[in-house]
Amino acid sequence: MRTKNKIWIALGLLLLACIALPAQAVDLEKKIVKARLQNGLTVLMMERKFSPTVSLYIRYRVGAVDESPGQSGAAHFLEHMMFKGTTTIGAKNYPAEKKLLSDMEKIGRELDRERAKQGSADARKIRRLEARMKRLQDKHLRYYIPNEIDRLYTENGASGMNASTGQDMTTYFINLPANKIELWARIESDRLLHPVFRQFYTERDVILEERRQRVEASPDGKLYEAFMERAYSTHPYGIPIVGLPKDLTFMSPAAIHAIHRKYLSPRRIVIAVVGDIDPSKTMELIRRYFGKIPDAGAPAARIPAEPEQKAERKAQVWFDASPSMIIGYHKPAPPAREDYVFDVLETILSKGRTSRLYDRLVISRQIAQSISAANGVPAARYPNLFTIFARPRHPHTNEELQTAILGEIEAIKTAPVTEEELARAKNQLKMDFIKSLDSNSELASILSYTELLLGDYRYFSDYLPQIQKVTAGDIQAAAIRYLTAENRTVAVLNRKTAPEEGGGAHEK
Amino acid sequence: MKNRKAFFPAAGLLLLAIFAMSPPSAPAESPWISPDQIAYPALEFRMPQAQRIALTNGMVLFYLKDGELPLVSLTVLVRTGSLYDPEGKEGLAELTAALLRTGGTTKISSGEMDRRLDFLAASPSFSMSLDSASVHFSFLKSDLEECLGLLSRMLLEPAFEEKKIQEALALKKEELRRIADDPQKLAFREFNRLLYPGDPRGRYATSASIQNISRADLAAFHREYFSPANMLLAVSGDISREEAVEKIEQAFSDATIPRRVHELPDAPKQRGRGIFLIPKAIPQSTVVSGELTISKNHPDFYAFEVLDFLIGSGGFSSRIFSAVRNEEGLAYSAGSFYRARSNYGVFGTYAFTKTASTFRAISLIDAILKDAAAGSFSQTELDRAKRSIINSFIFSFEQPGQIASQQMTVEYEKLPADFLTAYRTKIEAVTLEDVRRVAAAFLHEKERLTLIVGDADRFGAWPQNWAPPSQFVPQH
Repeated sequence: MRTKNKIWIALGLLLLACIALPAQAVDLEKKIVKARLQNGLTVLMMERKFSPTVSLYIRYRVGAVDESPGQSGAAHFLEHMMFKGTTTIGAKNYPAEKKLLSDMEKIGRELDRERAKQGSADARKIRRLEARMKRLQDKHLRYYIPNEIDRLYTENGASGMNASTGQDMTTYFINLPANKIELWARIESDRLLHPVFRQFYTERDVILEERRQRVEASPDGKLYEAFMERAYSTHPYGIPIVGLPKDLTFMSPAAIHAIHRKYLSPRRIVIAVVGDIDPSKTMELIRRYFGKIPDAGAPAARIPAEPEQKAERKAQVWFDASPSMIIGYHKPAPPAREDYVFDVLETILSKGRTSRLYDRLVISRQIAQSISAANGVPAARYPNLFTIFARPRHPHTNEELQTAILGEIEAIKTAPVTEEELARAKNQLKMDFIKSLDSNSELASILSYTELLLGDYRYFSDYLPQIQKVTAGDIQAAAIRYLTAENRTVAVLNRKTAPEEGGGAHEK
Repeated sequence: MKNRKAFFPAAGLLLLAIFAMSPPSAPAESPWISPDQIAYPALEFRMPQAQRIALTNGMVLFYLKDGELPLVSLTVLVRTGSLYDPEGKEGLAELTAALLRTGGTTKISSGEMDRRLDFLAASPSFSMSLDSASVHFSFLKSDLEECLGLLSRMLLEPAFEEKKIQEALALKKEELRRIADDPQKLAFREFNRLLYPGDPRGRYATSASIQNISRADLAAFHREYFSPANMLLAVSGDISREEAVEKIEQAFSDATIPRRVHELPDAPKQRGRGIFLIPKAIPQSTVVSGELTISKNHPDFYAFEVLDFLIGSGGFSSRIFSAVRNEEGLAYSAGSFYRARSNYGVFGTYAFTKTASTFRAISLIDAILKDAAAGSFSQTELDRAKRSIINSFIFSFEQPGQIASQQMTVEYEKLPADFLTAYRTKIEAVTLEDVRRVAAAFLHEKERLTLIVGDADRFGAWPQNWAPPSQFVPQH
């Protein structure tokens, strides 16, 4: 039986090598309409008719990296504030409300100044200011209708409404019944041009809770933050998107306005519309609502480059949780040739049960509970990292696991990957690509992402041919060049106390 | 608005003409009309149906063609579940599902199977839930025969290789060691366990129980539940009906397998209640609260869906989100959930809040539920909730695979055949009186189970009017 299977596999290799690209992937460019408004805003549209629905993505090339020093978390904070309404959505009497908001901001500033004194703060003054703030907040309730943006979208049948902030960009996305595109254009252009940042100080508390949920109470969040902080010495990729506690606690409305001003530059905006649409009518709507924004150019962001790393870096986190670790190496970002190479290496290392790291460390040697490689952490506007996330299996330690992982990395450098591994990885990447064409929202997401990041969505339609060109030699060369000790950051999380074993202070 | 447009299609055309004629930069043509006043073109709501086909081997197939991509996707649903775990061997059902995928088959070894699947870039995912098992599998159309063959061998002729059993046990044991690392995972697991006292649904795998599982147990569990006649199948993709029927019958024909068809399990008889506390020294508390409630087959199911939407699953405007997050800034995540099954349901609420505001968040949610039970909803709120649910229902019919799977679930749960097509009409028929009546009848403060995971020493003084908590350290 075994021999027969082997023959079959050889046959399979031949067959798979012959599978042509699916026609759809080739036709992708024919199905996509790309247009640019006079002010520089880019629109991508694609018709898909199965269901009378549409997925809408609007991305701004403004992310956490665009924050000013000391204002970490401002881009993400702005994303939250964009759901608070506009001068015409949720407003009852905007001129009066504006005055009230400015009064609140004044009290908020005083309050933050006093609270920042910490030990020497005047507790009575704080209580007095808090009481005044509460009175203003209560009064404000009479001037606006909360949650109107959500109400409008939800009532009109929206699904999956959300937004996300990354290091590189901020994205607002939604799925709507196909006849409701105008609602989206009305709301999105209005909150871009005339947002009102209501309930600022309450939202600051919400974001602090979000930070507690994602970081303070989460071993994965804690470890990731420590890892990134170590991996970048200069470039802002090392600063958490949600913000550092010291910045977030005292975030001011002024910082949020400063980030918002960067949105007002149509050349930094890409819209993608995928679904049951008429492209010319859709374009007309978008022009009507977004066409009036003046072209503000898009001055290049001044962001300090990360100097070349010269020596291995380490970070250690103690937490009440089982051990885990992250290893990362600096490398170029797309569209650099190496980035494709690392996509293939990521697949060879950890996609599927026969991938190298899973097969050897989880199945054969049984020292890992889970392991995965990820190319392109944390984002892609600037040089990024090739990373490995892993958890040791008890009683094995982070140290043992690290030694084993580094051994596998060395193996990649000393001998080329096999043709079978390479062919399998390419099949897997091809399959992932085809599957990503199966949903309106995924298509809208990928198209707007690649267009915004690289200035051309065709990076996506050209992706598989580029992957096909990657050779075993490319992988070996990239590993030798980038996966070195000097270029490496290792972060480990170990248990603070040992609840089961008792006695020892630290379990590793 | 929508109806008016349907009756007067010309109005839509006229409007569009006006848009086209207005110069894009004309400042006088302000687009900032109220979003509630926008006139929308008519929308044709289509509800494509999958075909139901009874196969000769006893399987029921739901088929819907999707020719867009060269893919075939299928979902298998098996009448089984972790609630059938024998006492003392909790974890058996889940391990059976895992080993069907990883434990080899009588004709193909585990290693060979992994190599073939990875080479085809086709990765079936097997999962076991409380009252069903499922497999999702999608692959290139050109690999149809090969993939169906592999899947049927995994489902019907597992080898349960001893080495693979040990591997799965070790991985499960480590997973259990790590459960308490994630406060949310821990809280929802323990909440679900406490909800079903004295019921198989409340028994969970522990490192001790999985130690008792042998190869014979796995084989017996498999024999009992994994026969074609006890499975339903949803298929969509680039495949004709004839080909789907022929290839599936071919791959899953096995005359030697007895046709055992399982019925849906009975509803749980008891319900967990009271306040429970799991101490964990982290700066944020996880609070989950809830009770058993009405099923999908209950006449008030639709009113309860609306009620749940209003209380905490309807986005920013729902009461819990609005009060706990937007008004007081006490949480990033807070809301409600209603998980209805065919003969019972679970309704619950949750909030993740800083240690110091743990009691405040619980009190706020309690007050919202009390208010709801007292009938505080308005007609405006109800109309909005109904419109939201009805208008977004279109997304239940977005993809062929999803449509076929939904119909399969309706059959699995023995719901009326028109459950999906009648859904909007039934929601539309819910009245304010219905919501008030259902809230009063089914939100029982005294029946509620509340679980708090957090830094209990720093919560502050335990509220006097609350029952004292049962504090415990969960065993995994």
